[in-house]
Amino acid sequence: MTEAALGARLADGQWHRMHPLTPVVRSWRVLIVVLVFVVQGWGDNIARGEGVPQLHRPDVAGRVLAGGGAIVVAVVAIGVGYIVLSWRTTRFRIADEALELHSGILFRQHRRARLDRVQAVDVVQPFIARLAGLARLTLEVAGGSDSNVTLSYLREEQALGLRNHLLAEAAGVHYEGTEAPEAPEHQAVEVPVGRLIGSLLLSGPAIGFVAGVLGLVVASAVIGDPGPILGVFPTVIGVAGLLWGRFNGGFGFRVATSPDGLRLRHGLLEQRTQTVPPGRVQAVRLRQGLLWRQADWWHVEVNIAGYSGGSDEANESGNTLLPVGSRYEAISVLALVLPDLGVPETENPWDVIGAGLTASGPGAGYLVAPRRSRWVDPIGWRRSGVRVTEHALLIRRGVLGRSLDVVPHARTQSLGVTQGPLQRRLDLASFALHSTQGPVSPVVAHLDVAVAARLLAEQAVRAEGARRTSGPERWMAAD
Amino acid sequence: MMEQPPHRAADDVFDPVGIEWTSVSPALARVRRTILLSVLTVVAVALVATAVATGWFWAWILPAVPLIGAVWGWWTIGRQVAAWGYAERADDLLIRRGLMFRELVVVPYGRMQFVDVQAGPLERGFGVAQVQLHTASAGTDARIPGLNAAEAARLRDRLASRGQARLAGL
Repeated sequence: MTEAALGARLADGQWHRMHPLTPVVRSWRVLIVVLVFVVQGWGDNIARGEGVPQLHRPDVAGRVLAGGGAIVVAVVAIGVGYIVLSWRTTRFRIADEALELHSGILFRQHRRARLDRVQAVDVVQPFIARLAGLARLTLEVAGGSDSNVTLSYLREEQALGLRNHLLAEAAGVHYEGTEAPEAPEHQAVEVPVGRLIGSLLLSGPAIGFVAGVLGLVVASAVIGDPGPILGVFPTVIGVAGLLWGRFNGGFGFRVATSPDGLRLRHGLLEQRTQTVPPGRVQAVRLRQGLLWRQADWWHVEVNIAGYSGGSDEANESGNTLLPVGSRYEAISVLALVLPDLGVPETENPWDVIGAGLTASGPGAGYLVAPRRSRWVDPIGWRRSGVRVTEHALLIRRGVLGRSLDVVPHARTQSLGVTQGPLQRRLDLASFALHSTQGPVSPVVAHLDVAVAARLLAEQAVRAEGARRTSGPERWMAAD
Repeated sequence: MMEQPPHRAADDVFDPVGIEWTSVSPALARVRRTILLSVLTVVAVALVATAVATGWFWAWILPAVPLIGAVWGWWTIGRQVAAWGYAERADDLLIRRGLMFRELVVVPYGRMQFVDVQAGPLERGFGVAQVQLHTASAGTDARIPGLNAAEAARLRDRLASRGQARLAGL
């Protein structure tokens, strides 16, 4: 029996434990700190010519214990005991079309996630886990920031086998044999390392970083005191950490399609494989910073219910569909997520999206903010606009940094119109679509009041119609 | 006491044609005015005490500030409460609010995940409750404060049953 079959066999309705190495992988940082502490202590002793404490001699052992050794030993013992106990009490099973996780020592938790409600399945391998051949499986369901079931850690092959099984169940497919077949993949886009580095160098943090450091160096040279340079050190580390995080997360980014949905693979030290089933993407944003304009690079990010999209680094990469790509690649990725925008046959969809990405003014069917809105938005008003197609709403904005949001009608949660006192005097109103939590928050600012009213009334009807005809949650069920 | 919202043009986005708005209970204004007055009374007492303690004539001007605040607040609360409104349509619920910053929210019943009914001690004393609709989006701010208890219960059950009938996943 292969490892993957073992993974699928985990789905036999019985309770299973995580891999026995889990405690080590989860607490390796603590172990290293303790190890460093101990080695350093002994090193000091050796340097002072005392040698390694001879614990078999009662007087020496007593001295070590009195010197705080007892506390360290107790803390380590309690920590290790806790981790091992927590491993022993953590169990999972797959039964009744749901994944259940039982965990906790003092505060018990029993979590049950229905498989037909799956929003995404991630297999993540942090660096240490990779050395041990382990992986973490995360099943995301909708319901805010902490709405997932995480199995950490399983053997990598088991995690992949289990993922295939969960996706097959979620899709409504029943397979023959012991092993869930891995859905065939077709690679669509790959981000070369050179371009990733280039895109990071041309990003806001990197430029601000270089400019800031140069400014401070000049300032120090002028006043003849190195104070400013030293003071900026923590910021330097912070920015470097941010850039490293983006590089680490975006390294080797590959987008592939499969019957299970979109499959994203990325990461240098921590490797992630995300699977997003069809119809789970709530909103898409294509955006371009001012410095990317020359190369015509675009960043694509999405809202997926379950990925919280907060400031957490791991989650941020979860919402990224393409860290950097050419316009062609970005639009291809958009087309993978939303294959049909419902642009009428007389028009070319590429023109409609292209106008959304870069154009300003009322071309390509965009409803735009009127000229008088320059009083409230002096720069951005030229591009602020919205295009309605049969299946989606395209919202464009931003003159310096550009962005285009695409929201399928079937995925709008609720709608809103707001109007402040200035807008009221100018007869303007802003129109907002409420999407699930994530980086995309689609708002069309400063439309004419009558246009906003019509949009609101029509969109309510369109969303209702689209919801009725949208596909089933179990995307491959044979009913 | 209750001012009518000003007359609005036919194409006003916040007053679509053919929608019958239900306004919230005037008891909400009483709740808010009670809170306003109790806070301002404490402030006023403190200021009067200061004036007496210092014995300085001009210090007696200070208590006038909470007095003016009370008059202005009393009037504004009346208008604000009158600006709240909701309307049940066949497929969605409309909520509007605000005087300076106006807002209109449309929540389809099929998108509703759950309904909250809340009432604090003061609100219970005046017999009002707040009904709030939640969708999968955190951006949906669909609350209706100041419903009298019977209407809140009716709305909650009605929304729940309509949501059930039109449930559409995410």
